[in-house]
Amino acid sequence: MQNPYEVIPAEIYEVMQESPLIRTLRFKPKKPIQFKTGQFIEVGIPGIGEGPFTPSSSHYTVDDMDVTIMKTGFLTEYVHKLHAGATIGIRGPFGSNYPLEKFKGKDVLILGGGCGLAPLRSLFLTMLHDHKDYNSITFLAGAKTPKDCIYKDEVTEWRKYDNVRFIRAVDEVPVGEQWEEDVCLVTKLLRKIDMKPDGNPAIVCGPPVMMKFGTFDLLKYGYKEENLYLSMEKKMYCGFGQCRHCVIGGYYACKDGPVFTYNQIKNEEAIWD
Amino acid sequence: MIVNKNDFHSFLKKVNSGLGNFSEVIVPYHIRSDDEKPALHFFRFEESKLPNLNFFRTVDPLKILFYLTREKVYPLGQKNHTRIIVGVKACDIKALHLLDKAMLQSGFVDPAYKQWRENTLIISSDCDFLHETCSCNLVNGHPYSESGYDLNLSVIDGNYLIGIGSERSQEFIELMKREITVANSTISDLEIVKSNREKVFDQLVEKNNPLNHSSDFSEFRKVEHKNWEEVSKECIGCGACTNICPTCYCLILNDESSEKDFVKVRSYDSCQWYGYARVAGGGTPRPKMTERFRNRYLCKFDYMHKNFGEIGCTGCGRCTEACAAKIDFREVVKNVSAIAQEVN
Repeated sequence: MQNPYEVIPAEIYEVMQESPLIRTLRFKPKKPIQFKTGQFIEVGIPGIGEGPFTPSSSHYTVDDMDVTIMKTGFLTEYVHKLHAGATIGIRGPFGSNYPLEKFKGKDVLILGGGCGLAPLRSLFLTMLHDHKDYNSITFLAGAKTPKDCIYKDEVTEWRKYDNVRFIRAVDEVPVGEQWEEDVCLVTKLLRKIDMKPDGNPAIVCGPPVMMKFGTFDLLKYGYKEENLYLSMEKKMYCGFGQCRHCVIGGYYACKDGPVFTYNQIKNEEAIWD
Repeated sequence: MIVNKNDFHSFLKKVNSGLGNFSEVIVPYHIRSDDEKPALHFFRFEESKLPNLNFFRTVDPLKILFYLTREKVYPLGQKNHTRIIVGVKACDIKALHLLDKAMLQSGFVDPAYKQWRENTLIISSDCDFLHETCSCNLVNGHPYSESGYDLNLSVIDGNYLIGIGSERSQEFIELMKREITVANSTISDLEIVKSNREKVFDQLVEKNNPLNHSSDFSEFRKVEHKNWEEVSKECIGCGACTNICPTCYCLILNDESSEKDFVKVRSYDSCQWYGYARVAGGGTPRPKMTERFRNRYLCKFDYMHKNFGEIGCTGCGRCTEACAAKIDFREVVKNVSAIAQEVN
């Protein structure tokens, strides 16, 4: 068994400003990080610290990865100062992944908002690689305003597939900003599409309040608890269940999750906090 | 096997000075000269001092010798020499068993802990005195070890009866047989040990009688917040209880990298601290002391049971001894248990 504290150095070769607060770092690890989409890694800056982030790239490219990071606190302040050529340290991968084998042949619904789109982009890109294996893929993506939308340059490409829908909504359009797509909470987009909840999976990731009401809406529309996949990316720290920071009633988000089905955790305390 | 106490001590002395392939011998010593309130600490064997191999548990838990308060975990140094720790108590052995489950058998392996485990010979000993906070009997334990040790010592007057608990102790035994007289134990020796053990256990049961509680902790989670507020009202959140607990292993990982090399150092964290599990943006899962207090009890009696099939309390009583607010862990467990039974 390898050392879970092992740090794999990686060189950043591109930094993309996705929105005022969100950046995507593209980097090449010194040795391939064999992750499965949904799993997360620890991204560290030497001498500063590290934090858990889910790669936003496909798991088919293990030697060239992306992470999409929002400026929120101490570490991410530093992350947002990094430039191409800088070395970061990666640990992992850790945690559970999306069970793609269960999604094959199904009508897959992906619902996300804000920086929660990061792990969903990884899932989406991984699924696009084998898009014919899925009956259909519907990706509903939300942001606060048009300028908060991330992955803008990729949308045209994502809309080229016959069995794939990528639908976006913003909460509001401030004066002076342009927007030709939907204006509503992302969860309201559910009403606009013809959902096929029966036996099909839905994957949710986003800010806690969006995840909560998104989950409740999907249940209301007939999705089954065991087919609702939630990315509970919260409070994770060490990555392998030892620091016990991310405990959810005896489950550990980093080890048993971050991908949980709703019926696994629905009775636990404060899951939406 | 039976050995003379003094012979055994002089043998340990030789081992500590380089006899055999052992790097050092660690033993408990009294750290206070007054007999009023004896307290023991693990130290490296000293030529001129007799160790206190029986007595009761040390002040610090055994975990500090396997899961260091501060330890470099990447890159990892090699620990090639085998050390011997003598005078380990049953409560600490039980805790080590739980730490093994957490750090060796839960999918990931903590490599530094693994090295210490593999390179340490554990010689346990029966308790022949009780600390006022000792309460292993309340959590299904005994003041003597029945498994988990390499060798075990039980005092019979001026001798030790040595019990063998593992194959890896063979090297030590062979060495001992070459150096000192080792006699075979008789049935009557075993009976004396049995009766000594029973005597200490009976004292323990009698002492803790007022603190008896149910051994079903499954309803702890249903106990209401206001009850936790009541039992935690004196708590100042210092975290002494978790740092000194033999089964607490929550960690923080410090990045001590230079520009060129990545270095990770692990040290203790405490769920009793406000900053524990605080995330970017300042959010923290349990901002109130009561919630953090409750988390510790749920972790010991619910989460660990769920994770490892056994509770996280070995009854060593250290948290009670260390508590600045004089909160008696046993009383809290008793009170919460009673409320949990009512709720049920």
